[in-house]
Amino acid sequence: MKLNIDGLLVYFPYDYIYPEQYSYMLELKRTLDAKGHGVLEMPSGTGKTISLLSLIVAYQTTFPLEVTKLIYCSRTVPEIEKVVEELRKLIDYYAKETGAKSNFLALALSSRKNLCIHPEVSSLRFGKEVDGKCHSLTASYIRAQRHSNPAQPVCKFYEEFDAVGRQVPIPSGIYNLDDLKDFGRRKGWCPYFLARYSILHANIVVYSYHYLLDPKIADLVSKELAKKSVVVFDEAHNIDNVCIDSMSVNITRRTLDRSQANVETLQNTINRIKETDAAKLKEEYKRLVEGLKEANVARETDVYLSNPVLPDEILKEAVPGSIRTAEHFVGFMKRFLEYLKSRLRIHHVVQESAPQFLKDIFEKVCIDRKPLRFCAERLRSLLRTLEIADIADFSAITLISHFATLVSTYSKGFTIIIEPFEDRTPTIANPVLHFSCMDPSIAIKPVFGRFQSVIITSGTLSPLDIYPRILDFRPVTVASFTMTLARTCLCPLIVGRGNDQVAMTSKFETREDFAVIRNYGNLLLEMSAIVPDGIVAFFTSYVYMENIVASWYEQAILENIQRNKLIFIETQDAAETSMALEKYQEACENGRGAILLSVARGKVSEGIDFVHHFGRAVIMFGVPYVYTQSRILKARLEYLRDQFQIRENDFLTFDAMRHAAQCVGRAIRGKTDYGLLIFADKRYARADKRGKLPRWIQEHLTDGSLNLTIDETVQLSKHFLRQMAQPFRREDQLGLSLLTLEQLQSEDMLQKIAQIAQQA
Amino acid sequence: DEEPERTKRWEGGYERTWEVLKEDESGSLKATVDDILFQAKRKRVFESHGQVRLGMMRHLFVVVDTSRTMEDQDLKPNRLTSTLKLMEYFVDEYFDQNPISQIGIITTKNKRADKLTDLAGNPKKHIAALKKAVDSTCIGEPSLYNSLLMAMQTLKHMPAHTSKEILIVFSSLTTCDPANIYELIKTIKGLKIRVSVIGLSAEVRVCTILTRETGGSYNVILDEGHFKELLMLHVKPPPASSSSECSLIRMGFPQHVIASMSDQDAKPSFSMSHLESTSGGPELTLGGYYCPQCRAKYTELPVECKVCGLTLVSAPHLARSFHHLFPLDAFQETLLEEYEGEKFCEACQGELKDKRIFTCPACKKVFCVECDLFIHDTLHCCPGCMHTDGTS
Repeated sequence: MKLNIDGLLVYFPYDYIYPEQYSYMLELKRTLDAKGHGVLEMPSGTGKTISLLSLIVAYQTTFPLEVTKLIYCSRTVPEIEKVVEELRKLIDYYAKETGAKSNFLALALSSRKNLCIHPEVSSLRFGKEVDGKCHSLTASYIRAQRHSNPAQPVCKFYEEFDAVGRQVPIPSGIYNLDDLKDFGRRKGWCPYFLARYSILHANIVVYSYHYLLDPKIADLVSKELAKKSVVVFDEAHNIDNVCIDSMSVNITRRTLDRSQANVETLQNTINRIKETDAAKLKEEYKRLVEGLKEANVARETDVYLSNPVLPDEILKEAVPGSIRTAEHFVGFMKRFLEYLKSRLRIHHVVQESAPQFLKDIFEKVCIDRKPLRFCAERLRSLLRTLEIADIADFSAITLISHFATLVSTYSKGFTIIIEPFEDRTPTIANPVLHFSCMDPSIAIKPVFGRFQSVIITSGTLSPLDIYPRILDFRPVTVASFTMTLARTCLCPLIVGRGNDQVAMTSKFETREDFAVIRNYGNLLLEMSAIVPDGIVAFFTSYVYMENIVASWYEQAILENIQRNKLIFIETQDAAETSMALEKYQEACENGRGAILLSVARGKVSEGIDFVHHFGRAVIMFGVPYVYTQSRILKARLEYLRDQFQIRENDFLTFDAMRHAAQCVGRAIRGKTDYGLLIFADKRYARADKRGKLPRWIQEHLTDGSLNLTIDETVQLSKHFLRQMAQPFRREDQLGLSLLTLEQLQSEDMLQKIAQIAQQA
Repeated sequence: DEEPERTKRWEGGYERTWEVLKEDESGSLKATVDDILFQAKRKRVFESHGQVRLGMMRHLFVVVDTSRTMEDQDLKPNRLTSTLKLMEYFVDEYFDQNPISQIGIITTKNKRADKLTDLAGNPKKHIAALKKAVDSTCIGEPSLYNSLLMAMQTLKHMPAHTSKEILIVFSSLTTCDPANIYELIKTIKGLKIRVSVIGLSAEVRVCTILTRETGGSYNVILDEGHFKELLMLHVKPPPASSSSECSLIRMGFPQHVIASMSDQDAKPSFSMSHLESTSGGPELTLGGYYCPQCRAKYTELPVECKVCGLTLVSAPHLARSFHHLFPLDAFQETLLEEYEGEKFCEACQGELKDKRIFTCPACKKVFCVECDLFIHDTLHCCPGCMHTDGTS
C-alpha cells in the first residue's frame, strides 16, 4: 500500500499495516527531518525492520541529496539475511508499483568466512583460519612475489576482481550473502572484496555492529562511508556492552607466552632479512621517518587485523626514533612483555588507572609514553615489511600492541585490573590483566559524530533515557511504542510467594534458603503440568542454576517434573547447548513437551527465538543482576557515577531489567504468538523494578498479577492458556491491530495511533 | 445420582467472576448482565455449509484420554466423570442425527490404547461401556500414536464412500509415542481419515498439526458448557471431501410386524442383535423388524443385518438425516428498535422483549431468540414459511 507519512510518499509492501508501524514511521521521519539521532523502542514481532526500511528507502528516493546511504547494523548473520530479504520484498514492490526498474543497490557484508568461494579457503572451519589463509593468498607483497616466482599460489578470484572488478560497478539490485557468492562465482570475482568495494557506492549496506563499532575493523571497512548516511542499530539493547568489548583487552599468561614466541619469530626473520635484503629494512626506516601518512600505501588486502583508534595528531608525527629500526622495536617489545609478565606475577589484586600504569612502566623499565602510542602502527609496518604471510599467528603480539597504544592514548575511561586468580577458584593461579573500557561512548563517538542520523532501536530499551546518557549523545526523538493487540496475547505474572507464603526471591541472603529453592521447584513443577509443549526457564547465573538443580534432584522435584516434560540444560559449552536446543525443539514438536533451563545473558537468552509452541511460558527465576563483586563492574559503576551521574543502583537495576525483559521477550515473537511471562521474584513487584520493564509488558501488568502465590499463578495461567487456544483468525485482528489503507485513514484511528508512541 | 456431588467451594479454583462485569455510566450492572445472558443464549456456531455434499454415513472412533490428568478437578467432579457423562449424551445425539452411522470408543492411558467398544451402530452397548468406564483409574500418560493406529486399523477397511473420522478428547499435554507420529499422520492423511481434537487443558502443537493435516478441527474447552457445545459440533455430519467416491448402497426398509396375540401360530422369538449381548434384557418378543432379504428378526433399527450384512433402516431415520442436506438459512439479526411491525414473535406469540430480533429471510416473519434457537436446533424448518406454504 502507499502511505502518506507526514507528506512523504512511502511504499509499504504489504496490504495490511499494524498501527504501531505507522506511528513508528512518523517518529522516524521526524528524526530524519531533524537530521538528528533517535532512540525507538518497539516490541519484537511488530515489523520493525520493514517499517524502518520502507521509510528510509522512501526518504532516499524523495530526497536523494539529503540521505545518500542507509547503513543497517544487526547482530547475527541470520538476522542480516532476514533484513535483506525484507528489503528485497520492498524493492520488488517498488518495481511493481512504479513500473520502472530501480537503480537501487543494496548488499549484505559479512566476514570472509561467510563470503569466501575459494575451494580450499572456504572449507576451513574457523573465521580466523579463513582470514589468515585468505591473507596469505591476496596480500600485496605475495602478489608482487608472484611476478618473479610464478609458482607462488594466489587466489584467482581476487586476481580476477583486481584486474577488472573495480572498473565496472556491480549491477544494481539486492544482494544477500548467497547472491554475492553466486555473482562472484559467475564472474570469477572474489565476493568479499567485491562487497567491501561496493559498499562505498551502495544505497543500503547491511552488516554487523562490529564493522562500525570495533575501531580495528571500522577503520578498514567503514572509513569512507558518506557523511549523509543514516545508521540504524537494530536489537541495540546491548550496544553499550558491544562498545565496551570492542575497546577492552584481556591479557593472560598464555597471551604473553604466545607473544614471546611471536617476538622470537620476528627477531629471526629480521636477522635473516638483514643478511639477504638489508635494503628493505632501510627503506622502511626511511618511510617511518617521513611519518605515518602513507596514504594508501597499504592496500586494502594488507589487513594486519588492526588499527586501534589513533588520534589524528599521532598520524602526522613521525614514529619516535627509539623504535624506528626493526631491532630496536623488537627489543622494545621484549622489554614491554617482560614488564607485563612481572606485573602478572602478583598475589593480590591490583587496580590502577592508565596514568598510574604509565608512570610505573616508566620507572621500572624506562618505557616512555610516546613510543607506546606508536606501538600498534609500528608493528603493523614491521609485519608488512617482513612479509609475513600468516598473520593469524601474530594475533597475540598484535593484541599486546593494541593494549600499548590504547593505554597510552586514553587517560580517562579505562581502568587496569590485574587479578591473580578467578574469584570462584581462588586456589588456581590464573593471572589476568584486564584493560577494560568503562565508557561505551568512546567507541561509538565517531559514529555519532560522523553520520547525520543514528537510530538505536530494539524491543527492549526501557528505560529509554539511560541510553543517551551512557552513550553520551543527544537524541532528537526518544519514543516507546506499544503493541496493539486484538487479544491480550501476553500474560505477565509476578510470583512472589510459594503456597506456604514464604517469599520467593533470589536475593543473596536467601537464595540458598531451602524453602526458596523448594518453592522455585514447585513453581516449575506446577507449570510443567499445565503449560503445553515448551517452557523456557532462566536462572540468574550458571552457578545458581547448578545449585538449584542439584537441590531439586535431592528433593525429588526433578523426578516429578520429568513425569510431565523432558528437561534440557544450557551449558557453557556451545556445542552441547546447540544439541540440547535441537532436542528441546524436537520434543516440543512431537508432543512430548520439554523444559529448557538456561541462563540470563547466556547464548539462549540473547539469540534464540522461541516462537509459538517452542515457548509457551518463560519463567525468570530471580532478578538477573550482573555479578556485582566483579572488579571490572565496580570500576565501571564508579565511572558512571562520576562521569554521568548515574547511581550504581539505577544502573544495576536497569541492566538486570533489560536482561529480564530480553529473556521473557524470547517467547512473544508476533501478534499471533502467545505466551506466559512469569517473573518469579517478589522484588519485581516493586515499582522501581516494574517501572523499568518495557512499556509493552508493563501495560499488561495489572495489580491483580503482582505478588501472586503459586496456585494463583496456576489458576491464572490455566485460564489464559484456554483463552488463547480459542480460534484466532486474521479477521479478528482487522481494524484493531491490523489495518487496511482505508481503516488507517479514518480520523479515529489516526487519533488512536497518536497515543501509541510515548515520548520519554 | 443425577446431581453429581458438588465439590466444596474451597476445593475449587479461584474464580474471578467480578472481572467480567462492567458498570455502565449510571453505575448499574444490569446492562452487562443482560448482555452476558443474551450472549450465552446465542452462543452457538453458525456454520451453514450451503449446498455441499455431506458425509452422511459416518464411521467415527472416539478416543477418550484416561490418563493421570483426567483426575484434575477443574471440571466437576473431575474431568473423567464429566467427560464420560457428556460422551453418553453425545452417543445418543450422534445416533439420533446420524442413524446410518457407526461409532467406536477407544481409551488411552499408561502409554497404551484399549478398545472400549468396536465400531457398531447400537447406542446401548456404547453407553453401557461408558457407564462402566467411570470407575476405571486414571494413570500414566496417553499415547496418541497407539490410539490413532488402533483406530486407523479398523477404519482403513471401511468403504471409500463413508466418512471416516476420529475424534480425540485429549486432556493431557503430552503424549508418549513409540515412533514418529508425523509418519503416522501422513498415513492417516493418505487414508482420508479426518481427525478432530477437543483439548481439555491447552493447545498442544502436535494436535494442531494433526488436525490441520487431516482436515479436522481443533478446539480447546473453556468450561463445561463450552465442552458440551464443542462435542455437539461433531454430531452434525461433516462435509464430504470432493474426492470421496460415490456408490449406491443396498438398504433394507423392514416393516415392523407384530403378530397379534390372538394369532395362535405366533411364537415369541429372539432378536438377532441380542445374540451377542450377555446383559440379558427382554429376549423373547413377538414382534419386530424382519430383514427383507433373509428374514432375520431385529427389535431395533438401525442395524446391520447379522446374517446377510444388509443395512436396515426405517424411512424416518433417513428423513432425519435429510435436514442436514438442506439446512434452514440463518435468520437475520436486527435491533428491536429498528423493527416497525407488531412486536410479537411469530412462533410463540409472546411479546418481543430482547434487544435483538430475528427475521426469516424467506417469509420475513420475526422471531425471538428462544424460538430462533428452537427452530434451528430442533425444528429445522421455519413455521412462518410452512404457514405461508400451506395457505398458498
